[in-house]
Amino acid sequence: MGLLDRFRRKKAVQRSRADAELFDDEFQRKLDYLAIVSRKVFAGRMRAERKTKKSGSGIEFVDHRDYVPGDDLRYLDWNVYQRFGRLQVRLFEEEEDLAVYILVDTSTSMRFGDGEKLRHAKKVAAALSYVALANLDRVAVLGVGEKLTDSMAPARGKERIFRVFQFLRGLETEGMTDLKVALRSFAARNKRRGMAVLISDLYDPAGFEEGINVLRYNRFEPLVIHINNRAEAKPTLLGDVLLYDCETGEEREVTVTARLLEKYRMAYEEYRREVELFCASKQVPYFEADVSVPFEDLVLRIFRRGGFLR
Amino acid sequence: MQLTGLPLQQLLLAGGLAAAFTVALYILKMRRRAVAVPFAPLWRRVLKDQDATSLFSQLKRLLSLLLQLALLTLLLLALGDPRPAAALLEGRSVVVLLDASASMQATDAAPTRLDAAREKVRGLARGLSGADRMLIAQMDAVVTPLSTLTGEVSDLEAALTQVRPTDTRADFPRALRFAADTLRGASKPEIIVVSDGALGPAHDALGDVHLGDIKLSAIRVGERGKNVAISNFSVRRYPLDKSRYEVMLEVTNTHDEPTEVELSLLGDGDLVDVTRLKLAPRERLPRFYPNLSGASRTLEARLRNADGSRDDLPADDRAFALLPERRRVRVQCVTRGNTYLEAALLLDEYLDVTTVDPARYPAAGSFDVTIFDGAPPRYAENSGAALYLDPSGDGSPFKTGKELSDYGFDGWEKKHPLVRWLVLDAIGVARGRELLAEEGDKVVAWSDDGGKKRPILLSGRRDGHRVVGLGFDPRESDIVLRIAWPLLLLNTINDFVEEDARYLSSFRTGDVWKIPAPTGATALQVEGPDGLSREVPVHDGRAVMLGQRAGFYKATAGGVDFHFAANLSDVGESTIAPAPEIKVDSRAAGEVAGFTVGVRRELWIYLLAAAVLISTIEWLTYHRRLTV
Repeated sequence: MGLLDRFRRKKAVQRSRADAELFDDEFQRKLDYLAIVSRKVFAGRMRAERKTKKSGSGIEFVDHRDYVPGDDLRYLDWNVYQRFGRLQVRLFEEEEDLAVYILVDTSTSMRFGDGEKLRHAKKVAAALSYVALANLDRVAVLGVGEKLTDSMAPARGKERIFRVFQFLRGLETEGMTDLKVALRSFAARNKRRGMAVLISDLYDPAGFEEGINVLRYNRFEPLVIHINNRAEAKPTLLGDVLLYDCETGEEREVTVTARLLEKYRMAYEEYRREVELFCASKQVPYFEADVSVPFEDLVLRIFRRGGFLR
Repeated sequence: MQLTGLPLQQLLLAGGLAAAFTVALYILKMRRRAVAVPFAPLWRRVLKDQDATSLFSQLKRLLSLLLQLALLTLLLLALGDPRPAAALLEGRSVVVLLDASASMQATDAAPTRLDAAREKVRGLARGLSGADRMLIAQMDAVVTPLSTLTGEVSDLEAALTQVRPTDTRADFPRALRFAADTLRGASKPEIIVVSDGALGPAHDALGDVHLGDIKLSAIRVGERGKNVAISNFSVRRYPLDKSRYEVMLEVTNTHDEPTEVELSLLGDGDLVDVTRLKLAPRERLPRFYPNLSGASRTLEARLRNADGSRDDLPADDRAFALLPERRRVRVQCVTRGNTYLEAALLLDEYLDVTTVDPARYPAAGSFDVTIFDGAPPRYAENSGAALYLDPSGDGSPFKTGKELSDYGFDGWEKKHPLVRWLVLDAIGVARGRELLAEEGDKVVAWSDDGGKKRPILLSGRRDGHRVVGLGFDPRESDIVLRIAWPLLLLNTINDFVEEDARYLSSFRTGDVWKIPAPTGATALQVEGPDGLSREVPVHDGRAVMLGQRAGFYKATAGGVDFHFAANLSDVGESTIAPAPEIKVDSRAAGEVAGFTVGVRRELWIYLLAAAVLISTIEWLTYHRRLTV
């Protein structure tokens, strides 16, 4: 066994150990009392804890509408008929489940450096899944790269969280980022609309906007969690180097100076602001998740502050 | 401009190869370190502006190449050691005689004249031009070359650091002869004398010094000459009472103005006497201190101005003398009875006399001196030095010659320690014998016998010990009735134990000293007043050395220590007024010219400096990414 093989094996062992420690008991207890607050109410096939506009067998009165033949006579409001001489049907809210799609970026750039971005993304995905499952929502987790790489069938119920954990542990990075293609594929396969949480570093050579727009145009409620590693803004480079893109392999000879590094840092910040502005302009909730911020803080404080959890 | 280093052909060859290598390195792109980035489009944004200046970047790289080639050219030129054609012409050959005599310690030129002279010579060395060569020699009692005839300024400056002041007069004629010999056959010879001018005439036992075509220049140092000196200082014990002594010293005002000084005399470090003296211009004032006692070892005289200040030359304001150590001398008298002998020996209380009959010789114990009166028995161990009175028989170390009668001392070595202070010419001897001198014997006194000298007093060595023989029985002459008799005995004893009462109790610096060494010693370890120690070989019982520093010296041989003193005692050196001119061979020394401190002739230094400068610029521009 060569030295390089030994090194690789050691790195793989360390990585799997880190994956195994992704979701410990303490982490799960913290998430137990969190629930997803959805700004919109979606129709569901099963009763759940969300309210829909659909009148149904619920108990909370919502509105009236004109009677049409075929309506259940039990819902006619005789008081209205006596007062106004019009046949009105009473409408009630019906609580239904929510479809939550967790879309995790599995492109190579998520493994850049020491893979901290992917681990962070997995934690965020696990947390959201857990909370959604705990609130009886329907959760599906999918990997996106240059295409839809892997997916976990929708699951419901808190006991399914271990399936989510298992799925997330199995997610590996590969290929480039092409959100547009991958999310088109996602929209085509998932007819039931719902919340689509995109967890990504948004390093899409074709532009991150296209991918988010695909979700919007297909009536999903997109939510962007921008996985960020500030260390990438300050690379430790100096001198004559050959830069190559870890996804595309694009090469470029550069003489790195302190001034150039400063320019790069500014470009990095500008890119991050572009993402934030785009999301704001399209009313897409945007959250920056920096890997340097402890995960618990991110979930328990940043998400709550953003109105994502109640 | 000519190359004196590597020839042009080699330079061109080396330069071509190096330039080709340098250019090749610039043409060949070195493999860059590959670094992965997470998102190349971000770098594209940053580098968009860089592309716009790529032409400028190429120009900068070209500038970097040109800098490297310029650096290479400068280094190669430095290897070639180019020099102006004028610099390769025949240069001057200069010998600098730097006066390090006692007068150069004068402080009128701060800090001393010698330091000022040293600086002036340093200026000369730095002002050498062309192919000039210089040799620096220290001139005092001897001439000491401190460098070779060289053009290297660093060597000359290093030589200057070796110059040390001495308490001697300068041997100017010897120094001139040395310089003339050094410059014989050299191109454009020149002698530069750096001195205060107190050098004396350029004349010695070999006659006048002739310099021929050699140019003589001088640099004078010193401004004034206010000085009072102790020009003589001596001490002696009284011959018949060695516990007491007398001091003679002389104070000289070498200046043209009257002055008042305070003279202190210290014995063993304690103040013995303080006197205020008024001295007229150029006055030499002797002082005599008789019948002193108290000091057992050292005497020192100190001089200072009456107002407490020091004059311009402190070196001659102190003088040193050493009293011979006193100890009891064990004397063995081998005699059947001699009243005159016993009476004479009673005069010195420091003699421990043991009288023994010849039949009982030797007496028990060890002796410094044994006096054999009449026919002696064979010399026995532990008898020390021996004085034989009228020696004869088998035990005598002297062979006797002709029988003499009615004769006297017709001649004697007046400076010999045995007969010093003696008047012997009126002494008559009734009967006696001629003593035959052997090789190494010294005839101290003799009697004329028809024009032939008959030795009657001999000094020499036998079997490693000293012997003195008197060729008659004292009782057969009237010497025993004269003062000469006890003096002869005491002189002989003192000479044997080397504790004489010489008038001069110290050596004079600049002279060759002959220091009495303990019997059997082959070398003396002499430690000077400056703390430096050196080994001096012993010849004929004397260590011979040239003394250059005044003060107390300590000598060691075979575990035995003894001390001696040395003084400047030279009015010529104490007269420190700078001489108006230096004359040699009826030719006055001219002014020094042609030593201008300016641009060095070795251009390679400047080329190397330029190369370093360019290299620094290249380094700075590279690290600031100006040329990459």
